[in-house]
Amino acid sequence: MTLALELAQQALLQAGFVDGLAEFARPGTFAEVVLRGLSKAAIYVMIAAGLTLIFGLLGVLNFAHGALTMIGAYLGGLVMVLTVAQGTGPWARLALFFVAMAVVFGLLSALGGSIEVRLIRPLYDRPPIYQILLTFGVTLVLEELARIVVGFYGLQPLAEWQAALGTIPAFLETSQSLGPVSVRGLALFEIFLGALTVAAIWGFLTRTRYGLFIRAGSEDSEMAEALGIDVRRVFTVVFALGAGVAGVAGTLLMWDPVWGASVPLAAESLLPAFVVVIIGGLGTFRGTVVGGLIVGLVDATTTWWFQNVAVTWTWLPEVAIFMILVVALIVRPQGIYGVEEVGGH
Amino acid sequence: MYLVVVGLLAIYPAIYHLLTQSPLGEVAVTVLPRMETMVAVLYFSLFAMSFDFISGYTGYLSFGHAAFYGTGAYTVLLIANGKVPLLGPETPFLVALVVGAVLATVLAVVIGLVSFRLTGVYFAMITLGFAQVLYVFVRDWDYVGSNPRDGIALSGARGFELGVPYVDQLTVALGTLTGDTLALAGHTLGTTTVSFYAVGVVVLLCFAAMQRILHSPFGRVMVAIRENEERAEAIGYDTFRYKLGAFAISGFFGGVAGGLLAGFKRSVTPESGFYFLTSGDALLASIIGGFGTLAGPLWGHLFDETVREFLSKRGQGGGLLPYLEQTLSEEFLTTELVGGLTVEGFITAALNGHASLYVGIVFVLFVLYVPDGIVGTVRSRLGGRVARRLPERLWGER
Amino acid sequence: MALLDVADIETYYGESHVLEGVSLSVERGDVVALMGRNGVGKTTTLRSILQLTPPRSGSVTYDGTDLVGRRTHEVAAMGVGWIPEDRRIFTQLSVAENLRVSVPDGDDAAEALSIAFETFPILEQRRDQAAGTLSGGQQQMLALGRGLVGDNDLLLVDEPSEGLAPQIVADVADALAAAASETTMLLVEQNLPLALDLADRFYVLDNGRVVDEGDADAVSADDDRLRRYLSA
Repeated sequence: MTLALELAQQALLQAGFVDGLAEFARPGTFAEVVLRGLSKAAIYVMIAAGLTLIFGLLGVLNFAHGALTMIGAYLGGLVMVLTVAQGTGPWARLALFFVAMAVVFGLLSALGGSIEVRLIRPLYDRPPIYQILLTFGVTLVLEELARIVVGFYGLQPLAEWQAALGTIPAFLETSQSLGPVSVRGLALFEIFLGALTVAAIWGFLTRTRYGLFIRAGSEDSEMAEALGIDVRRVFTVVFALGAGVAGVAGTLLMWDPVWGASVPLAAESLLPAFVVVIIGGLGTFRGTVVGGLIVGLVDATTTWWFQNVAVTWTWLPEVAIFMILVVALIVRPQGIYGVEEVGGH
Repeated sequence: MYLVVVGLLAIYPAIYHLLTQSPLGEVAVTVLPRMETMVAVLYFSLFAMSFDFISGYTGYLSFGHAAFYGTGAYTVLLIANGKVPLLGPETPFLVALVVGAVLATVLAVVIGLVSFRLTGVYFAMITLGFAQVLYVFVRDWDYVGSNPRDGIALSGARGFELGVPYVDQLTVALGTLTGDTLALAGHTLGTTTVSFYAVGVVVLLCFAAMQRILHSPFGRVMVAIRENEERAEAIGYDTFRYKLGAFAISGFFGGVAGGLLAGFKRSVTPESGFYFLTSGDALLASIIGGFGTLAGPLWGHLFDETVREFLSKRGQGGGLLPYLEQTLSEEFLTTELVGGLTVEGFITAALNGHASLYVGIVFVLFVLYVPDGIVGTVRSRLGGRVARRLPERLWGER
Repeated sequence: MALLDVADIETYYGESHVLEGVSLSVERGDVVALMGRNGVGKTTTLRSILQLTPPRSGSVTYDGTDLVGRRTHEVAAMGVGWIPEDRRIFTQLSVAENLRVSVPDGDDAAEALSIAFETFPILEQRRDQAAGTLSGGQQQMLALGRGLVGDNDLLLVDEPSEGLAPQIVADVADALAAAASETTMLLVEQNLPLALDLADRFYVLDNGRVVDEGDADAVSADDDRLRRYLSA
């Protein structure tokens, strides 16, 4: 207790605190923080989108999701490293990035689909905990396989893959100014890609026949089956899709120096994805988007305070996301858009 | 049944000693876990049991369980390093152990008060959230030591002494380097072996206590909560209190386990104490051993550690890799498979320290084909009284 | 040959033996009422026909094919529709989407939907509204509508009047009559006058067995024979 008091005193005594507040409220600064927050939100939504789709329909909390993101980062990086040369122009790099994304989406969808068919399908008539446990086991296997392969090619599995980071086009790496605000090009690209992903998934869910099946099945899969929908196939498709989206998110993360392609990316991306999905309400896509926005903006705000006002709590930005989780669950246990029964055991 | 198990564990050091000295020595060194590993198996099993106590018996998955383990370990080391007010570095280890466990209990009550308003996946996630907050906090809190990210170690070259406080004859020092040796009937027991027995006694006492609680009326309410919480509530039990009580007890023993870790290793890192993968290892042990069996996690973790050590490359500990390198011919090892990949290169790449891969595969196979775990399956085959077809009933019908 | 022929099926939920040899048949174009007290196995009979809870023995022949061993969505695609207890409409989907889910692949959705809208005009007025916001009676119409657009030859209807206010029961009865004129129907219903009014034939189930059967015209709602099995 005395320690917490001491910390609080220290923070209050810092003359910077009030100045910080004034600086934070300046339109330019504020807009910058919001933009950074949006770019973080875009990433959070992307790493969580697949997770929420899978949970919504199959009721499986996929612990292997982070590992799939990590594999996506390495595969995406591989495509980039193999195709991008020193002299490749920025626009060509961008085009190649979309190629890499498509390749990764295809490969990981196939991987996800086969995991569902081979491993998870036999467990549907068992209590839900077994499906969670199984995906936990799959994570161990995938992570270790990645470690073996990455190590075999002489890369340090724990560090970000620098060669992949190096394939980023110059205009994304430098700061771009938007009026009074200056922000990294990559942040804008992330916002763009996040919005694109959300729009694509939203469109798929609401405008296509398969999306209709998924939404119906998420509400009542037995009824959907009795209306003539091959729910098992829909399960496979959704698991494949979710895995594919995880991979796409990974491809993007491979370019972001904050994340980067590394084996620990699996756990680093899984935990925030859980938080986002839980805050929004498990299994609702709308909730996940809102949850991602909240976490992203809060994250950006706490980070700004840490960097600019030199708050003594160095751990604040890192725990912020889990603090949000705890607070959110206390205030609204079933998540923003969640239905209570989903979480019941 | 339990006597046999305890007996087997008790003579393990002798067996290990005998076999490694015998003509089969090389194989024994390769296959059997080292004594040092066995000590770790004991205290980590206690942690996994405390996890099973709450998760396996009430059905509430405590995914942030590492918080209690870490609290126990950090408390013991902080007390020994003189960082805790009122308790100086000279505080007996057993007292520190209990203080750590009590702190873990308090922590469990605090976390439980908030978390037991939730169920299912949400409960698992909020406990995980708490543990992760503590993990990051401990990792960056420079009060614990000069380099909090690397964890903390006991200052000086001393070791912890486990035993009845202030009674020298009933106290032994722990640790491989700092521990006591013991002369017994003409044989000298090595430091690690002594630690093995000392830690073993504590673990056994804790196990017996938990077993006793589970077989009491309190334990029956815990199982009733797991089977059907609404019904338990309808019969008139205040399930919230029972859950909170069970969580506090499991926090206590988790704290003891953490204290033992600190006592033997004389150091702890945020990763080994608070990180969510530590909870994951407990889950692993529980599933392989048998969920909701209390004793199962010991076997599950023993299995886990044995495989890990078998596949690691530590010279003196044996293991598969050094064994293969010694046994297979040079010619065979340098044979090329594909594209410059030699047999040796392949073995090294596939085996060296990659036990998680094989443990993970075994885990997946257990989930798919042996859902009751080792102990659960054995018990239901033998028609045991405690856990007939437990896991099926565990989480209710879907 | 009957459209549906259920022969001596035995169905279990876990260890509990629910159906102990049920046989019944439904002629094409008929409405057959399945009656009995709560918990005697009426819903389970419907679930067994759909293969949602497959019988352990016996056969379910529909239109000349044995359904046992097939998956539920295949059974549905063969033209068996289910209007379950509690209706089980998709509350977060709109009325139109609820109907569209059950339109078979390849059928024209707009055309299929118009069948339901003709029978239940209220659904067309509410077509873009979330189905969860409909009243109980409207939800029952939506559930029936879902059965109609599915191009089904046989509707399995479970307790359609349960939990509805008396005036609304009359509406549902009209709706059932409208639906019955289009297809064959196996109707589980506790409301005896309603059931006998609609049905051509009836079966009475007790403790997992058929204990009585006959022509609906031959009995009245206060018949002693029926009351013995149906009153608690």
